[in-house]
Amino acid sequence: MTSVAEPAVGVARSVAVVGLEAVDVAVEVSMSAGLPGFTVIGATGVAGRQAADRVRAALAATGIRLPPRKILASLAPADVPTSGARFDLALAVALLVRLGLVPPGAVAGSAFLGELALDGGVRPVPAVLPAAAHLAARDVARLVVADANASEACLVGGIEVVAMTDLSEVVDVCAGNTAARSAVPLPPATATALPDLADVRGQGEARRACEIAAAGGHHMLLLGPPGCGKSMLAARLVGLLPPLSEEQALEVLAVRSVAGLLTGPVPSALDRTPPLRRPHHATTAAALLGGGSGIARPGEISLACHGVLFLDELFEWPRRLLDALREPLEEGRVRIARARATVHYPAGFLLVAAANPCPCGGAGSCVCAEADIWAYRRRLSGPLADRIDLAPRLQRLRADDLVTGAVGESSAAVATRVAEARAVAVNRWGVPNGSARGDRVRATARREALRTLGRAVETGTLTGRGFDRALRVARTCADLGGADLVDRTHVLEALAHRAALRSVGVDHAAGRRGA
Amino acid sequence: MRGSGDRGSGAHSDTPSPAEVLRIAASGRAGASLQQRVLQDLLDAGQPCTSRQVVDELRARAGVAAGRDLARVMTRLAALGGRLVVAGDERYPSLLADAWPELGAPVWLFVAGVRPPVERRPAVAIVGTRIPSLDGARTARRLGAALAEAGVVVVSGLARGIDQAAHHGALDVGGCTVAVLGTGLGVDYPARTSPLRDAIAASGAVLSELLPGVGPRPWQFLERNRIISGLADATVVVEGRETSGALQTARLAAGQGRDVWAVPGSINAPTSAAPLALLRDGARPLTSIDELVTCVAATAGHGGHADSPAPTTTLSPSARTVLDLLGPVPASTDALVAAGTLPAQVVMVAVAELVDLGLGAVTANGVVRV
Repeated sequence: MTSVAEPAVGVARSVAVVGLEAVDVAVEVSMSAGLPGFTVIGATGVAGRQAADRVRAALAATGIRLPPRKILASLAPADVPTSGARFDLALAVALLVRLGLVPPGAVAGSAFLGELALDGGVRPVPAVLPAAAHLAARDVARLVVADANASEACLVGGIEVVAMTDLSEVVDVCAGNTAARSAVPLPPATATALPDLADVRGQGEARRACEIAAAGGHHMLLLGPPGCGKSMLAARLVGLLPPLSEEQALEVLAVRSVAGLLTGPVPSALDRTPPLRRPHHATTAAALLGGGSGIARPGEISLACHGVLFLDELFEWPRRLLDALREPLEEGRVRIARARATVHYPAGFLLVAAANPCPCGGAGSCVCAEADIWAYRRRLSGPLADRIDLAPRLQRLRADDLVTGAVGESSAAVATRVAEARAVAVNRWGVPNGSARGDRVRATARREALRTLGRAVETGTLTGRGFDRALRVARTCADLGGADLVDRTHVLEALAHRAALRSVGVDHAAGRRGA
Repeated sequence: MRGSGDRGSGAHSDTPSPAEVLRIAASGRAGASLQQRVLQDLLDAGQPCTSRQVVDELRARAGVAAGRDLARVMTRLAALGGRLVVAGDERYPSLLADAWPELGAPVWLFVAGVRPPVERRPAVAIVGTRIPSLDGARTARRLGAALAEAGVVVVSGLARGIDQAAHHGALDVGGCTVAVLGTGLGVDYPARTSPLRDAIAASGAVLSELLPGVGPRPWQFLERNRIISGLADATVVVEGRETSGALQTARLAAGQGRDVWAVPGSINAPTSAAPLALLRDGARPLTSIDELVTCVAATAGHGGHADSPAPTTTLSPSARTVLDLLGPVPASTDALVAAGTLPAQVVMVAVAELVDLGLGAVTANGVVRV
């Protein structure tokens, strides 16, 4: 290994990611007289000591021994929360520069992201995609990552991605001994077929509700006995949503990247299918909403961003967790405060919940005590219930229906209508109907339609708050039917789709009202 | 006329005084079953069954309460604004007095409320299941309202479901309603009914033969039923399952010589079992609310009131089609789609239109005709 002139300080660039925000980090290494050792400062907690040990071992495995001097490495700015092993590669490179093994000019326009194995190998790290996007917009020409991260880093253009297998390759390339291996984007993946709505027999009410939910972004609660096809419908809802835009697809991937879920090779053509997440009801708050120590990681609601969050057995979920969904549902993002940093993740998902009508699940032949049913259904009350607009009731199909039942429309046919209706709404007020402002929606409704809604409020069929929510659904029904103004038929349909929400136990309402 | 337990005090009148009876009642040993046994024994012995006779006999068999117990009951009763009414007293409901003693009506009642059913007004008991269908609850509520509007006292048992719906119906129109409890006064049973009990007491009365504060016991509700039927000129069974307590109330009413009406229901609905059984046994079918109101109100010279006809003229064709398919048994959207030629979306709009016009109602299991 040829030695070049040793600079006073070795510098290499890297990128920290806090939430989805990327922050430039400069790694500086200096050597001075003093007690021999390798100290990393600026890193939080034990991460610095561990990084120093890994770097020292990786260098040794590559045949580079550290001189017996006091070596100080600094991650700057020091107030950026830096944890994990993503700076290992940059640390090693800055050290190589200080030792004169790599010329400073060879690393000037590059940034480094990677963990080091003890044998000198370079390992993939999470959150490479947001870092690459950040760097592409700056004066950085090259991003050096592990082989396994290369395809992910290639997703954003405008930056050369160099893949490295181990530390000796890094040294060789930087010293100009071998050519850098520029990573090339992987070929697009063959699209996986989504489940089709045509597989669902009967369930006319639920099919229509799915169409409205997809077109307007209205949250939905599927009610029906076990085995009637609630999960099946939720899986098909994704196929009705319009494909993601490039920006949305990148955001979805960025969240997955930060969550550490982008482990395999990522095909170059972005996956435009909206995500579907279906966490189990035993999921913790941290896993659902995002969390963890240090910097909070994105949870299921962020992974479902621009797609569908399916909560099966809604009434089995702890009330506390359901109530916590209020902020994300309202703002389309989630804020998670931890001691070291408060991060925001996107959380604009379509909520699809499913529930049995009662604890025993047996519709019609229910054996539950009335009090049990009330306790069961009371979990839905509160903030979440106010944000659900569609509650289709599903029937358990008889065996002969499964064989002979009429085949419904295919996903493609419904998705065409959905896409048109969505485009109309977005043209009108920039957002889907589900998030449109109430007064503006009211201005597009016929007087007779508003009067019908008003009557529903008077008779107690609808709450005051439900007025605008039902009207938004009616707006979507009108858009699906190609109507300019919301008329009574649309309002009636919106009310019909809400009916089961109220009758989640309304059988006994006559005796309850005023009591 | 003096009973065997008479200790010869000259102060004894034909009607025992409340203070005297309270001492016996407060002992807690002279419950409904002992009272009925005493009445039966007196009847068997061919002795006159006046309240004086029974009270003396009860004192002999059950004794009187200790002073401390008596004081506790009196404090409690005063705190609840209740009072004791004794059979033979002019404040004892006259209809109930008619059923006394042969059918074991209670010797005393604890009453709270502004208008105990004392004066001779027509009264109708509305009873039925605690888990009604929406249609049943609505029927009970409309019945309660129509009867109360016609000046009839609505008597029921405060249970969830039909009973409460009937009370609510009477309260809706500002009528008079009476609740007969299966617990003592001052017990929140069924849970969270205290606002309703207050409203009932403010319109009519809440009463119980049990000591204030006595909690719910299964047999107390069966014994209570004889007071419900005894307080009413007629008993209407709205809905009930095969083993419903409403059946017992109706049979007691028949035994007391009162009219029994039953609301006919679908033979497919489990909630129709009780009314259908009564109809088979000769109860009067309640084919319209007006019929009952006219029939009962005639006793007091009040006219019935007619429901305004449903506004069916503005129905859309699809809503009319769906309306023709609807009945009291909940129909799901899919069932309506399968039964007709309309697609799901049109059926849902039609159903919402019917609900909007008050012709249909949505239940957890589907839509019903109102």
